[in-house]
Amino acid sequence: MKKLLTKIFSLSVKILPVLLIAVSGCSRIDHKQSALDPKGLVSQNQYDIFMLSVWITIFLFCAVGGCLLYVLWKYRAKSPEEAMEVPAQSHGNSKVEISLILASTVILVILAIPTLQGVVLMNRLPDPNDSQALEKYDLNKSAIEDAITVNVTGKRFFWVFEYPQFGIVTANELVFPASKAVRVNLRTEDVIHSFWLPKLAGKMDLMPGQENFLWFVADQNKILTKKDSEGKTIKVSLNEAMPSVYDGQMRERIFAKQKFTDEFEAVGGLFYGQCAEYCGNSHAYMSFRALAQSDDDFDSWVKSFQNAQNPNKQPSEYNPEKEYSKGSVVSFPDNSLGESNSREYRAAVKINKGQAPNLTKKGWEKAHSDDYEMGKQLFASLQCVQCHAINRTGLGSKGPNLTLFGIRTSLAAGWMRNDEENLSQWLKNSNEVKFGNLMWNGEGVDDDHPLRNLEDDDVKVNQLVAYLLGLK
Amino acid sequence: MATESIKYVTPDSDTKIETKAFPRPGQHTKGIVNWLTTIDHKKIGIMYGVAALFFLIIGGIEALLIRSQLWDHNMDVLTNRQYNQMFTMHGTTMVFLVIMPLSAAFFNFIMPLQIGARDVAFPRMNTLSLWCFIAGGITLNLSWFFTGGSPAIGWFGYAPLTDTRFAEVLGDMGPDFWIFSLQILGLASLLASFNFITTIINMRAPGMTMMRLPVFTWMTLIVSFLIILAFPAITIALVELMFDRTYGTNFYDFLEGGKPHLWQHLFWIFGHPEVYILILPAMGIVSEIIPVFSRKPLFGYGLIIFSGAIIGFMGFAVWSHHMFTTGMGIVATSAFSILTMLIAIPTGIKIFNWIGTMWGGRIRFETPMLFALGFITMFMVGGFTGIMHSSVPIDAQHQDSYFVVAHFHYVLIGGALFGLFAGFYFWLPKLSGKMLNEKLGKFVFTLMFIGFNLTFFPMHYLGMIGQPRRTHSYNEGHGFETWNQIATIGAFILGVGIAIGVYQFVTAAFNKKLKPAGKNPWDARTLEWTLSSPVKEYNFARTPIIKSRDQAWENNYGPKENHSDKEPLDDHGVHMPDRSWYPLVTALGIFGLVLGMLFHQSVDLNTGEIIRDYTYAIAGGVVAIIGIIMWSIEGPAGYHLFPKESEE
Amino acid sequence: MSEASAHALDHHEPVTSTGIHNKKVLMWAFLGSDCMFFGTLISTHLIYRKISATVGGNFLDIRDVFDIELTSFSTFILLASSLFMALAVSAIHKGNLTSTRWMLFGTIIFGAIFLACQVYEFTHFVHAPGNELTLSSYRGEPHVFGSTFYVLTGTHGTHVAIGVFWLLGWLAYSFTGKMSTADAMDVECCGLYWHFVDIVWIIIFPVIYLMEYAF
Repeated sequence: MKKLLTKIFSLSVKILPVLLIAVSGCSRIDHKQSALDPKGLVSQNQYDIFMLSVWITIFLFCAVGGCLLYVLWKYRAKSPEEAMEVPAQSHGNSKVEISLILASTVILVILAIPTLQGVVLMNRLPDPNDSQALEKYDLNKSAIEDAITVNVTGKRFFWVFEYPQFGIVTANELVFPASKAVRVNLRTEDVIHSFWLPKLAGKMDLMPGQENFLWFVADQNKILTKKDSEGKTIKVSLNEAMPSVYDGQMRERIFAKQKFTDEFEAVGGLFYGQCAEYCGNSHAYMSFRALAQSDDDFDSWVKSFQNAQNPNKQPSEYNPEKEYSKGSVVSFPDNSLGESNSREYRAAVKINKGQAPNLTKKGWEKAHSDDYEMGKQLFASLQCVQCHAINRTGLGSKGPNLTLFGIRTSLAAGWMRNDEENLSQWLKNSNEVKFGNLMWNGEGVDDDHPLRNLEDDDVKVNQLVAYLLGLK
Repeated sequence: MATESIKYVTPDSDTKIETKAFPRPGQHTKGIVNWLTTIDHKKIGIMYGVAALFFLIIGGIEALLIRSQLWDHNMDVLTNRQYNQMFTMHGTTMVFLVIMPLSAAFFNFIMPLQIGARDVAFPRMNTLSLWCFIAGGITLNLSWFFTGGSPAIGWFGYAPLTDTRFAEVLGDMGPDFWIFSLQILGLASLLASFNFITTIINMRAPGMTMMRLPVFTWMTLIVSFLIILAFPAITIALVELMFDRTYGTNFYDFLEGGKPHLWQHLFWIFGHPEVYILILPAMGIVSEIIPVFSRKPLFGYGLIIFSGAIIGFMGFAVWSHHMFTTGMGIVATSAFSILTMLIAIPTGIKIFNWIGTMWGGRIRFETPMLFALGFITMFMVGGFTGIMHSSVPIDAQHQDSYFVVAHFHYVLIGGALFGLFAGFYFWLPKLSGKMLNEKLGKFVFTLMFIGFNLTFFPMHYLGMIGQPRRTHSYNEGHGFETWNQIATIGAFILGVGIAIGVYQFVTAAFNKKLKPAGKNPWDARTLEWTLSSPVKEYNFARTPIIKSRDQAWENNYGPKENHSDKEPLDDHGVHMPDRSWYPLVTALGIFGLVLGMLFHQSVDLNTGEIIRDYTYAIAGGVVAIIGIIMWSIEGPAGYHLFPKESEE
Repeated sequence: MSEASAHALDHHEPVTSTGIHNKKVLMWAFLGSDCMFFGTLISTHLIYRKISATVGGNFLDIRDVFDIELTSFSTFILLASSLFMALAVSAIHKGNLTSTRWMLFGTIIFGAIFLACQVYEFTHFVHAPGNELTLSSYRGEPHVFGSTFYVLTGTHGTHVAIGVFWLLGWLAYSFTGKMSTADAMDVECCGLYWHFVDIVWIIIFPVIYLMEYAF
């Protein structure tokens, strides 16, 4: 009995891990943030080397572990008498030892070669003029030549994404063209963070006082396919896999197709990322998203951002000396919003020079709802503007840039869905949602701060929500 | 007990220099004073062990709180700051207050017995390192009660998160407690290591050549060298950090010209050898146990020693593999990647040789052997994932994910802790004189093995599907829940297993039901098994003359010329150095110095200026210096025992 | 009985496996470890030396604050003290107590002169008008040079100070009348320490001071 038990123990030594491998092998691996479901060249390379190492180690584990099991079984003491026998006292066998050393060296070389190639690939984009390399990686020349650059700045606890080529800044959602490589320059303004985008790029730290680099390029074919309920791979239309971001279709599609609690993403062009280096209280909440776009949609997104963040394109005050085409936006003084405030109006028809701002006629119509306009005022009067830039590039500001916030899919650095309900919950008491966030706990925010007194003020919150989500 | 038959020669008063404040405790000191002033390596080893087991329970509770918090998404067991404090304290406690001192307990207790020495080279220094260790443990855990609570900076304390500029609680003292406790713990480790090195190099019994040393002693020597060469790096890194925090220097302050990278390099130049400091003792223990329960000598003794030394040496050349994602450039990452792969070779050799040892043996599956086998298999898993991490592209996904958590727990629990538990089950009969309950031992092994694998195997998968480590919470919709729940259940099973094991060890000395062990219950091979259990305070009545490697085995089974001899009796008897108060006094002085430094800063509420008051720090320093001076004045002194030959 | 107690007191010289006294092995192990302490500090300084070479865009010239003549003098003094130390060890081995005492005294005086130079240097640097080099700044600008410089040379100074106190202990002991050739080993360990501290300075002096004049 006792011996049986010991046998079971020694067997379990082996079986349990194998069993667990089998169990985890059965479940799906394309979770939202899974490194086992690579969707880009760099992450695919990392995955391939990983799988190589997995097979090597499974082989080694079976070989060495099998050897161990065999020895344990063969040479077990079968009786108390046998346990007291004295076997031959051999001290070693240099031939066996040397050959094992050589064998393990060979195995390591097998892993070392792709490792070194992988290191180079991770750190450098292939040369666009090296057709062999492009062929090897199945890349278009334009994907490398027209690569876009994103400067990522990590802050506690959110991300700033700056597009230096286009002169625009956004936060927490990195929009990129699926057909182009993306160069990511990583910086931080406070502590160390780490940019981890498992399905596309692996990770790289954001070191203070240093600029780090990482690049990725998505694999469009993978984005445009998905697995159906039976596990078969099916094609997905471009519009379905990568709905356009600039007009809010991406947001609507995600909200419609996918519950927030779904473990597997419904939209192929949506990628999840996370800060991977411990950076303080709310480190866990510091996630982000990357949204892949077709070239046209990306250009439109860039355009709309450029328009929004261009100070020359902000609505100006009505000038009677000017002619206005249909659809142009102009601000008029409007005392219903408070003294010396103005409201934006859109020209419904072509407005001729000097045609007075007669609002009763159909010439001008309100550009936004009253709630939006009230929210806009509140955004300033509640001191939100001190930390958040809207329609400005304000890179140095304390909080995330909220330009075109209404087309964002997520809120609070990717932590929750950006809809009315969540946004009002967030505005009322962000500390309850994301304990330790700097909007609630940052420097200069105390109990008297208006932000901390919104909890029972549904009206104000609704107006702020209307304003923020109206930023499209 | 045989003490009656020992002929005591000198009355206490003849042999000691009296000081009025602290009369030197004499030969017959009993009770608490005996333990406070002891210089006996065996008692020191026991105290190291008991204190470390206590901290194991504390660190374990912290781990269970962490696991409870991760049971489901968005749990509220702990706030995020509390969680961050938990993983910081858990890591620091387990590394510095559990595994290192448990290894030190075995070094202290076993190593002198294995080389035929009566004590370590500097017994009072040994006591000092014990008290410094305990002072360090207390300092670290005192942090819970002061401003900001415990440190929330991770056990690695990456700059600039440790900078006062980024403190999340005003006047956070946690990092200061962390800095100073690590400094005292470092002092304790350094003192102990100097002592062990001197002992092993210089105090071997006649005939105990270096190539006859038991493997565990060899690993003690290697680990001691690693400690004395690795700890200075972190000591200086901590000094620089302390200056940054207290006196405004700019070592790690990137806004004023410093480099946070520097901290990472200094920390890991210490931190990677530290990994081997944690694992090599367990490897030494396993290398003792497997031959005993296979009834064969160690396969490739020379190669095992050599590979241990190579691992230790190369441990200094691979530190940057902890920093693959920090942007060191292609050349540096490639070089460290290849070096790290190379370290797998000596590690593999050890595993091959353990299997080679069992080959052709008569294997008995008693508790120590089960733990040793558990060690081999789980260390293999940890080693294999380690090879994966050595590859930079793989590491780009694994770094700071739960995959890494799984990896190093396989090495440090499945490896180090299982090895140390194997050591407990193996050597406790020598310590207490009684056999442990075999059934209970096997039950503990089962619980620990199942619980451990349930906890940490799913973490590989969790890491791969994207769960980052050091996050107090995860969002719903990532598929993390199920496997975290399995891990949490496993953690509690593991916790119960460890708790029963600890209970078994601690009660071993008092449990009257246990069977007496006799000199050599396992039919083991090395020198300590020629002594009675428990070992007498003088260890060897006459110094043995060693003739072969596995002396206890050779005495029983070897040819006549391999049997050990004994040095002839002389009229000196056995010289026993006296107990001393001064190690304790010195350690208390250092403790006072540290507390004084921790609290020397205060802010004048009227002017807002920083006031520095060094009175208490200086007072502590003076006490420590007085302790050292009195220590050197009192000398080793001592008394003589004349045990009969049969009484060893 | 009295015979046994006499044995107890002179039982200080155990036979060791290597034939080298335990204390000497301990001291060598400690010095090996201490090498790593200074190695870490010196490499920190070397890493930062170039990084921190500019202040606000202007090249930093630390030579403005250094007083190389004084430091060269104190370096010479420290080296000379090593000679005294060697002579003291030699004297105690020969049992020449008077000579030992004088040589110890010489070592202490020279060590103290070195320390005095360092204290002078530190206060001078901190208060150098227009060129203040403090722990955290140089000429009022945030800077790392002061951090590495003061912590490194300060650690070395602390080592010298400990050595001086240790030697003072021996000097005091030499007046108790108990000092004999039996103590030669302990004095020699003290000497090892002293020489080591000197050697470290021989590395620090070119690396911290002279290098600023060369590169």
